[in-house]
Formats: sequence, C-alpha cells, structure tokens
Amino acid sequence: MILSRKKVRDLETADLGNAVDGRSLWADARIRFFKNKAAVAGLVVLVLVALFAAFGSFLAPWSNEEVDWAVLGQVDTMGRPSLASGHYFGTDELGRDVFARTIQGTQISLMVGLIGALIAVVVGTIYGATSGYHGGRIDNVMMRIVDVLLAIPYMFVLILLLVVFGRSVLMLFVGIGLISWLDMARIARGQTLSIKNKEFVEAAHAIGVRPVTIIRRHILPNLLGVVIVYATLLVPSMIIYESFISFLGLGVQEPSTSWGALISDGASQMQYGTLWMLLFPLFFFVITLFAFFFVGDGLRDALDPKDR
Amino acid sequence: MLSYIFRRLAVAIPTLLVLVVFSYLVMYAAPGGPFDTERALPQEVMANLEAKFGLDKPLVVQMANYVWNVVVHFDFGPSYYYKDQTVNDIIAQGFPVTLTYGFWSFVVAVVVGMSLGVCAAVYHNSWLDYLAVGVSIGAQVLPNFVMAPILVLVFTLWLGWLPGGGWQGGQWQYVVMPVIALSTSFMASIARLTRSSMLEVLNANYIRTARAKGLPMRKVILRHALKPALLPVVSYLGPAFVAMITGSVVVDMYFSTGGIGVFFVNSALNRDYSVIMGITILTGALTIFFNLVVDILYAWIDPKIRY
Repeated sequence: MILSRKKVRDLETADLGNAVDGRSLWADARIRFFKNKAAVAGLVVLVLVALFAAFGSFLAPWSNEEVDWAVLGQVDTMGRPSLASGHYFGTDELGRDVFARTIQGTQISLMVGLIGALIAVVVGTIYGATSGYHGGRIDNVMMRIVDVLLAIPYMFVLILLLVVFGRSVLMLFVGIGLISWLDMARIARGQTLSIKNKEFVEAAHAIGVRPVTIIRRHILPNLLGVVIVYATLLVPSMIIYESFISFLGLGVQEPSTSWGALISDGASQMQYGTLWMLLFPLFFFVITLFAFFFVGDGLRDALDPKDR
Repeated sequence: MLSYIFRRLAVAIPTLLVLVVFSYLVMYAAPGGPFDTERALPQEVMANLEAKFGLDKPLVVQMANYVWNVVVHFDFGPSYYYKDQTVNDIIAQGFPVTLTYGFWSFVVAVVVGMSLGVCAAVYHNSWLDYLAVGVSIGAQVLPNFVMAPILVLVFTLWLGWLPGGGWQGGQWQYVVMPVIALSTSFMASIARLTRSSMLEVLNANYIRTARAKGLPMRKVILRHALKPALLPVVSYLGPAFVAMITGSVVVDMYFSTGGIGVFFVNSALNRDYSVIMGITILTGALTIFFNLVVDILYAWIDPKIRY
C-alpha cells in the first residue's frame, strides 16, 4: 500500500465541496461596492440622514408648529441657533423651530423621492419589459405613447395639476409619478431587447412557458441591476423636482414643509442676517443629493462591470 | 431624409394635440370657474360673462374653437385675470426677457461646459481634470433655486457688486446673475458628457494612428477627436435649451426679471386658466420643435444614424 491508512481516512473525510467557494453575481457586486470609498461614504450619509428624519423629532424640544413667543420680533438676536433655548438650528421668522421643521422637511422630501423612484421602478420596468419583449406593433405603439408623454413640458403640467386639483402631498405624488416612469420604461425596454434573444429565454419559450411568466421569471431579474442603478439616480432628481415646486410655493402646504419650501423661506429672510434659516436646510439638501449621486455611481460600477 | 422629417412631424403634431386637449380637460375639470368671486355674481351677469368668453357652449365646441383660434389665428384668447390684456400680450411682454437670458445661459453653458469637458479629457487625471469633475459634481446638486439665493447672498449682500433683481431693459448687471443661476447645472451636465465621450474617442485606434504619423496633439484634437466626441453632446442640447426656457420659472420669480415664468406662477395662483394654457402650449410647442431640430441636425451630422 502506498497510502497509509490515515491518509486514506483523511482523504475520505476531506471536504472537497468547500475548497472553492462560488460567489454569486450579487456577492461580487457587493464586494466591488464596498471597495468604493466614495460610495460607502455616501451610503453612511444616507443612513444618517434617514435616522435624522426618523428619530430626530425625539431630540427636538419644540414641535414644528409651535411658535416660541419669546423670540418673536427679535428673531435675529434671540432666534439664533443655541443649545440653551432648545432651538438647535435657530428659529424661523415666525418663531418656529428650524430643527423640527428641517426634520419634517427631510421626511417629506425623502418620501417624495423614494415614492417617485418606486413608481418608476414598478410601472416603468413592467411597461418597458412588456413593450420590449413583445416587439413589433405593440412595442411601436407603447413607445410612441412614451415619446408623446416625454415631449410634454412636465414642470408646467405638474404646476397645472397642483393648481387645478388643489395643493396636497397626494397630488404631488400623482404628478411626480406621472413623470418618473417614462425614462425608466425606455431603459428597461432597451435592456429587454438584448435579453430576449438570449438562449435561456429561447429555451423557456421552446418548452412553452407563457410570455407573462417569461417576463416575470427570466427578464425582470436580469433587468434588476440596471433598474437599481437608475432608481438610485432618480431619487435625487425627484427630490429636486419637488423642491423646485415647493420653492415656488406650489408644493406642500403649511404647516407641512419640505427642503424646497425651507430653502425658499430661508432665502426670503437672508437680508436680515438670519442665515441659519437658509443654511441648515440647504446643508441637508446638498449632502443628501451628493450622497445619492455617489451611491448611484458606486452601484453602477459594482453592477455593471463592463462599463468600467 | 425628407421621409424622416415627415415621420417625426407625424409624431410631433399629435403630441401637441394631446397636450392641448389634456390641458383643456384638466382646466375644465377644475372645481370653480375663473369668475367665481367672494360674492356670487347675479345669474344674468354670469351668463353674460360666460357668453362673452364662449363658456356657455358645450365642451367639444369650446375646445374646437380654442384649438382653431390657436392654430389658425395664433390667438390664445383673453386673460381672465388681467382684464385688459390678452394672453398674446402677456407672452409678447414676458417672452423676450426669458428668451434673452435663456439664450445667454445656453451660450455660457455650451462654451464653458464643452471647453471644461475637453480640457478635462485631454489632461486626464491632472489637477484640471479633478477640478472639472469636482465642479460638475458640485453643480449637479446646485439647481437654479439653490444657486439663486447663494448668488444674491454673495454678490448683492456681501460684495454689493450686482443688483439683487430687476431687469431694466436687459442691462448687463441685471443679466449676469440670472444667467449664472440658470446655466450652472446645464454647464455641469455638458462638461460631464463631453469629458466622458472625449475620453472614449481619445482611446480610439484612429487617434493613435493620427498620433503615430506625427500630428501635433492640438491638430489631433481639433481635426480628429472633437467632432465625434461632441456628437453625443449635441443630442443633449435640444432638451437643454428648452429646459433653460421652462426652468427659468425660478429665475423669473427670484430675480423679478418680468419674464414669462412670473406670469405663469401668478396665473397659477390666480386661476387664470387661459394664460396657463397659453404658456403650457407655447413651451410644449417649443420643446417639440427643438427636439425635432436637434434630431434632424443629429441625423445630418452623424453618418452612422439611419433614418
């Protein structure tokens, strides 16, 4: 015998299966993402901003509606940011706590961004995948509809909708939802066109899988990477849209507020030297957008290796 | 080529019709009319007013009349709020202002953005490149409604160099800040687009060939690299131009330039539907027109495009 008993026993029990650990596409992407320092920093900032929006109100001694009568009329001196008065970010010109209002504005702005992106992901992806998969006349008609909608100046239609049906957060969501899915539909369609000619789709088709199931089981999972990347970049643009409308005074109504409304309020007061009203909301607006852009870039590098 | 233009027009005209019909229906569905006041008007006065503006007719007839007037006479009807002005008057008053600084913003965004992008690509990974990338990322998070207050804060309140608003027939001091506020984010996008497409082109084989045969770098860039690199940027310019006109609402409001955006927002707040409709349709028509122009230009410049 060349091999000793012991060696044979060792070989028998050796765990060959685990010698090479396979990594999935997603695990690969995760590793690439976490190597990107800017993207990770962006993610951390986003988590902090989200925590601020979710739990910040527990730290605030004042609510966003309460008027601090003590500072009214002398906001530029008494309303300064200070720990002693409990107005960490100062007060606005009506004596309301900017800290509490910034938290509230952050909640609304983030919600608008996320819901806009969610609508885009759900409607846009399904629409685009269906259009791309079917091709031919259906594709033609569906994409012409998107073209027509894209050519409409949406900022104006959105303002029109808000004015006619009243300004409410719900109407804002409807309006932003109407816009946000269009580009996503085009991107999803483009990707579907290249996926649908792959062998696995052909195989599924050959064994008689219904088109709905092919789209759900085989096409949508393969679209996911691109969709996630685009959705991350869509959130900041939805936030900008909303802020733009609120800046004009056509968005959310008092006492609710959003970053755009806060920036607008602060900007209208800055000649009196009360800069904190402008700078605190502006700071949150800017770092959140930055963070979203960096995370989006990081995700694109992570999920789309051929793009590098 | 001609059939391509016709096909594009075949999409453009229905688009415009959809826009008109949609805006009209939204307006019609709105609760309350333009003549609702605090105190209800007598029945007869209301009937007279509605008859004067043709609002007593059925919806289809109203809409057909409106479309007919707009298309044939280029007449958007009277304003419901500014009683002595028509929508055409208001557009004639505000549009030149918007167009003036919209045009300058476009020029600034294109010239600065493209130069920055090309320089960044040519001096890839140098301080110039980092500066360009930094500027373009920074400008992305500074949309015009953020830029406007910051500019006023710095140049009017701190430095006192420029007036904080007004127009004064378009003297240069009054134009500078609107142009900067409006052009920054577009400049950033153009710079980013130019940089990435220039980088791609500079790595192409024919550029290496041009270098290998001993052409100086300046000539390689100007004669061989620039045109193909700027192609993807051209397709961005059409939407950008229109967006600079429509996006100017904030600039009009903030700097009180008296441009079209002020009228739009005021009409929105006053429920002056005919003005809102007029401006929406006008910008819609402009959007469609410039997209068409850019697509045709693009097909003409780029031999690879099949139409």
